[in-house]
Amino acid sequence: MTTKLHMNENPYLPAESIRKAAVKGMENVNRYSGLKYLNELKNLLSKYNDVAADRIVLSHGSDLLLRELINVFSKDRKIIMVYPSFFPVAQYALKQARKLTKIQISPPDFSLDHNLVLSQLDEPALLIIDNPNNPTGKILLDYDLVEKILQNKNALLLVDEAYYEFSGQTFAGLIEKYPNLAITRTMDKAFSLAGLRLGYLLTGDNFKHHFADFPAYLSTPTVFAAVEALKKPEYMSAAVGKILREKVKTEKDLATAGVRVFPGKTNFSLINTKIPDFAVKLKEAGILVKDLSDEWLDTYFRISIGLPEENELLISTIKKIIN
Amino acid sequence: MKKTGLIVNPIAGMGGSVGLKGTDGETYKKALELGAVPTTPQRIEDTLVLINRKDLYFITAPGKMGEDYLKKFDFKYDVISTIGKETNADDTKRIVREMADKGIELLIFVGGDGTARDIYDILGLTTPVVGIPSGVKMFSPVFALSTTAAAEIINNETDQFIEKEVLDIDEEAFRAGKLGAKLYGYLKVPKNPSLLQGKKEPSNVSKPEELSKKEIAQYLLENIENDALYILDPGTTLATVAEKFGVQKTLLGIDAIFNGQLVGSDLNEKGLLELIKKYRKTKIILTPIGGNGFIFGRASKQFTPEVLKLIDKKDIIIVATEDKISRLDCLRVDTGDIKTDNKLQGFVKVITGYKTETLIEVK
Repeated sequence: MTTKLHMNENPYLPAESIRKAAVKGMENVNRYSGLKYLNELKNLLSKYNDVAADRIVLSHGSDLLLRELINVFSKDRKIIMVYPSFFPVAQYALKQARKLTKIQISPPDFSLDHNLVLSQLDEPALLIIDNPNNPTGKILLDYDLVEKILQNKNALLLVDEAYYEFSGQTFAGLIEKYPNLAITRTMDKAFSLAGLRLGYLLTGDNFKHHFADFPAYLSTPTVFAAVEALKKPEYMSAAVGKILREKVKTEKDLATAGVRVFPGKTNFSLINTKIPDFAVKLKEAGILVKDLSDEWLDTYFRISIGLPEENELLISTIKKIIN
Repeated sequence: MKKTGLIVNPIAGMGGSVGLKGTDGETYKKALELGAVPTTPQRIEDTLVLINRKDLYFITAPGKMGEDYLKKFDFKYDVISTIGKETNADDTKRIVREMADKGIELLIFVGGDGTARDIYDILGLTTPVVGIPSGVKMFSPVFALSTTAAAEIINNETDQFIEKEVLDIDEEAFRAGKLGAKLYGYLKVPKNPSLLQGKKEPSNVSKPEELSKKEIAQYLLENIENDALYILDPGTTLATVAEKFGVQKTLLGIDAIFNGQLVGSDLNEKGLLELIKKYRKTKIILTPIGGNGFIFGRASKQFTPEVLKLIDKKDIIIVATEDKISRLDCLRVDTGDIKTDNKLQGFVKVITGYKTETLIEVK
């Protein structure tokens, strides 16, 4: 059996009531999901995020929203991104951008030079920043930088908060104040709904108009499950708590095993090890981790936090490899 | 006491500042004729001054191959063997063999890829080594990142070692217009990867890389300034740029163009200084070394601190393919002059395509 620690998934199944809601969604699967349920979902998300429902855009996965934002809002402005960042979006931006500036963040602390970011806003720009960053897990933004960016009329800021529930940091509270802010979120991670793909966008006024007619017909099982999950967010909170506690333990064990761990605010760990063929050897032992040398640096790996027994298997396998 | 070998290739790196690609064989004499001065004494002394271990007992070569530098410090040492006025690879091999016979537990060597090859020929994987970089070509990741890094590796005693490649440039591939490094063997080095050089990876010559280079070249062509001297670094990226500019560039050498004309080819430090003083405005176009990100202080040693003092930081144009730059954690400089290094540090813009750039820190 394969242990999947390479895609930042939540190792815990959603609560039984949530799974049952998804199955109930199958009962009328010959019909499109009705506006009633979509509106209920938006209203629940509005309450969950404390953002007006008409500022929320639904989609099957936040990647589609990010792509749409790049397509529409980079036509007459340059894209500014951090590198590394969520690789599919980085690759799409590289393909589509009229002009692209990447700001490299470097080990060991992966911090973002705030003045450098602000110095790039002398022409119209779409900034896309994942916060926390994937794959480093680093919190790159703070309120001071975000407000300085948003006060610049040249800038549109898109923050990807896919890991918000793990980091606890959000800029959703600025959506009403700043028209040039948009935030993407997902229920794939903390809410354990990766297989149903529910992403959403929180829009400032400059983005809201474009998405007024954005098609939002999600699959009924997705809508039903998401509604049920939002009605009982305590299940999600408990899973996040378990993952974060496991993360502390796993990272400690990784460090003891001689692997360098970088602190982060997500459900995965960034590590650095010179063990030759590290990911290949783990794969041979049935454990999948993300080898970052394909897109970024050699000897860096991203490992999702799994179930306690999966994390223990990871650690014992690493120890065997070292010895 | 830990028996530690120290051997210095006194002529390593001399070819760099005069535009030669190494000091193998007769090239050394040419380097001398061109006014090259030894660079290794400074490198070894910069390292020795930082070594704080008291348990090292050095076994070293006579004179300029070791003894001259150790005697300036308080280390305990024995001198073995003999050398003539001029030294060569055979001396290195012979003395390293004698050191091995005397049971050294660690060998510290100063040199470049050629020196690493000579040491590999004798030691193989039997004895760990610390390489202090001082050559022109240092493709091999056996070398420490700098003299400071070398001292840190030596000071942090460890019983854990890793094997690192001994490489050298593939001359045949170079002649065929490809930048390639070939594997020669492996040396055992202390396990401290963050202080070792990354392998200087050959630029990929597949189609996307070529397209990337063409985009960079097109961007530079559209932004070229009249009446400015452009100095072009070696490598395939810059060869593509030169081709776009309509000039034939040497692959291994530093060339210069002015208003579309080649005005200098395979330039050494002296040639560069003359040209820079002759023209009112000068810009350098260069590309980092893949794998370790060095922009100055490694392959193109003609860019000496003297040359760089005459160039404004904003007139250094750095280009690299998207693939190369995304695999680097930072850019690096190690010119041998701290003031020059400091001037070059901080974030810089790297042109990676017609419409793309990366801001990355020089460390």
